[in-house]
Amino acid sequence: MIISTDARTSPEHAGASDRNLLLAVSGLRKYFPIRRGLLRKVVGETRAVDGVSFEVRRGEMLGLVGESGSGKTTVGRCLMRLLQPTAGRILLYNAMAGVDLCGLSARKLRDIRPRLQMIFQDPHSSLNPRMTVGEIVGEPLIVNRVAKGTELNERVATLLELVGLNGDDLRRYPHAFSGGQRQRIGIARALALRPELVIADEPVSALDVSVQAQILNLLAELRERIGFSCIFIAHDLSVVEHICDRVAVMYLGRIVEIGDTDTLYRAPQHPYTEALLSAVPIPDPVAQRERTRVRLEGEVPDASSPPPGCPFHPRCRYAEPLCRECVPELRPIAEKSLASCHLSEKLNLKGV
Amino acid sequence: MEPLLEIRGLTTVFPTDDGTVCAVNDVTFSITPGKTLGLVGESGCGKSLTALSILRLVPAPGRIAAGSIWYRPKGGNAPIDLVRLCPHGDAIREIRGNEIAMIFQEPMTSLNPVYTIGNQIAESVALHQAADRKEARARAVEMLARVGIPNPRQRAKEYPHQLSGGMRQRAMIAMALCCRPALLLADEPTTALDVTIQAQVLELMKSLQQEFGMAILLITHDMGVIAEMADEVVVMYAGRVVEQGEPEAIFYKPLHPYTQGLLASVPVLGRRSKARLVAIPGTVPRLQRLPQGCAFRPRCSRRMPVCVEMPELEGASGAADASPNADHKVRCWLYDHQHGR
Ligand SMILES: Nc1ncnc2c1ncn2[C@@H]1O[C@H](COP(=O)(O)OP(=O)(O)OP(=O)(O)O)[C@@H](O)[C@H]1O
Ligand SMILES: Nc1ncnc2c1ncn2[C@@H]1O[C@H](COP(=O)(O)OP(=O)(O)OP(=O)(O)O)[C@@H](O)[C@H]1O
Ligand code: SF4
Ligand SMILES: [Mg+2]
Ligand SMILES: [Mg+2]
Repeated sequence: MIISTDARTSPEHAGASDRNLLLAVSGLRKYFPIRRGLLRKVVGETRAVDGVSFEVRRGEMLGLVGESGSGKTTVGRCLMRLLQPTAGRILLYNAMAGVDLCGLSARKLRDIRPRLQMIFQDPHSSLNPRMTVGEIVGEPLIVNRVAKGTELNERVATLLELVGLNGDDLRRYPHAFSGGQRQRIGIARALALRPELVIADEPVSALDVSVQAQILNLLAELRERIGFSCIFIAHDLSVVEHICDRVAVMYLGRIVEIGDTDTLYRAPQHPYTEALLSAVPIPDPVAQRERTRVRLEGEVPDASSPPPGCPFHPRCRYAEPLCRECVPELRPIAEKSLASCHLSEKLNLKGV
Repeated sequence: MEPLLEIRGLTTVFPTDDGTVCAVNDVTFSITPGKTLGLVGESGCGKSLTALSILRLVPAPGRIAAGSIWYRPKGGNAPIDLVRLCPHGDAIREIRGNEIAMIFQEPMTSLNPVYTIGNQIAESVALHQAADRKEARARAVEMLARVGIPNPRQRAKEYPHQLSGGMRQRAMIAMALCCRPALLLADEPTTALDVTIQAQVLELMKSLQQEFGMAILLITHDMGVIAEMADEVVVMYAGRVVEQGEPEAIFYKPLHPYTQGLLASVPVLGRRSKARLVAIPGTVPRLQRLPQGCAFRPRCSRRMPVCVEMPELEGASGAADASPNADHKVRCWLYDHQHGR
């Protein structure tokens, strides 16, 4: 299905045509049925992703952060069409027009696939232990009939060198590599088809700091050299601040704030963002002791029964009666930043 | 206060095709009730194996080759050397879960996929606390709520694959904490959690620590979590302790070049710069091919000829730029009287 460019409906994109636009997600939803009992009767649904809209421009690194269980991985898996979205549109643009990934048949999807790649969180389980490194990195090239024979070997060797591995490592098996090296293999595989968009789901959280620094530097460097866009899912807000151009904050299946990294970190517009930033532990014992943290009181809501009104209101220290009744829209607050809080203009939230 | 756990010269080895390797090499430290010892270091340096050695869960063909682990059980009994217990015997089984609990690094490996998480936690409560089924169940749900699992009554009926990564990790934390252990071995307990839930879990650990004096061995690569939680920090590299001291000493006056590199490579919130992070060059040596002398030597920018010999872990008093302090120990020739600058 081809959709013309003016069908861009996400709130972030105020209608202006933007040649650099690569991906426009609008109204994305993914509900999982909840089954109970012997007959596995459906008794409810988990609204893992509940109306998410955002855009990614070419060459841009967008951070996706937020509460555990808020649907970040599910968004990533929907974009990759590893999950079939319940509703919404995922438009992937080329120079002329956008293609809606949601409506594509399996065959059409195969043509698009090379343009999107995912790097998984766990370098230990995401690589097939019975394949050599050469086979792992070369597989996408073979499956998509991009290269074979000596050309294949050359391209694999180049990819390995690109991520700082030795061309001789080709014939070794994943278990012979450290966690950081395996993550490099995962990155080499993801970049094999020169994707336009890389979805990295917590690519460095399983790695220790000095290796993490190497991988982050590698991603930044590769992005400059090859110029792909990236959705970077992470819990570590310090890492996200360091590497991302823009950041989206998720809470209970929705984006509650999205904006330029600097703006969002210095002047958050949503109370959840404020709480998140204040909870980041900083590697400085004295400063850490003197810091005050926004404590989130109240019960953590569940995606199977989201509260009425603002989804954050049961835990928000600023909540007013309006917040309990009315769902706040994601709306422009400051330059290049959107938030979904009734009180954004009134509050003076603390950043870092 | 007398230590709850005293590890002396612990050495855990693995036979491999290239000979025996020491994954944990002559490690000595102790933990006091109510305190938290933070264990940090490069991947593969032996942190998990140190914790597994305490519980006598070293995977075969690995074994403890030397050293002792003195543990002072509940009720004021005489300390026992865990190293001397049979790893499959009743004595160590009595201690596991009941006295010493562990949060394992990989939640999926310690949660059973075919049982609901509620059943798994209740099972462990019933086993160790002699509670009846109903009581055990209630305790399980209560603990799930305390680690921040939404709708805990409902979630208790779900299987591990139905939970998000962070929820699984919290289920495991609930399982470890529900038996009120005297010592908690927490191996990367919060890596999969968002920071607000992480804060909640860390605070829960602290409050249990205050309530009944639980001691914690905290393994993490998040230096921020160490700064928040630790009363003492042990830094390991390639199986050995290379630096040890109070958090202030480690963070503000790191002595070992590895510790210095580690701290420099952490991005700090609010100090965004376009510059690349300062990564330590190179990779950790494989245990089979450890360089002679200081294991950090090939990556160290300050190495000297003497570094081909193994430095001792010693009080940092010899250092020109460190205050004489026997509590701050380092294993590096730079701080040796003769060889240091
Ligand atoms: N296959 C599934 N079946 C049922 N529910 C699911 C499934 N996968 C995810 N969920 C639910 O969807 C919600 C969102 O999960 P998701 O894994 O996307 O969260 P996340 O933001 O990635 O969290 P984390 O940071 O903990 O990884 C959770 O409530 C989770 O329990
Ligand atoms: N079965 C085994 N055979 C040989 N060596 C092993 C075996 N299991 C573990 N090792 C070695 O023991 C060393 C210590 O492993 P350990 O799991 O304690 O590291 P760690 O410090 O916890 O690392 P990480 O931060 O990656 O979790 C590693 O170098 C590993 O290669
Ligand atoms: S002992 Fe030598 S090689 Fe090792 S850290 Fe110190 S200066 Fe560097
Ligand atoms: Mg996830
Ligand atoms: Mg480990």
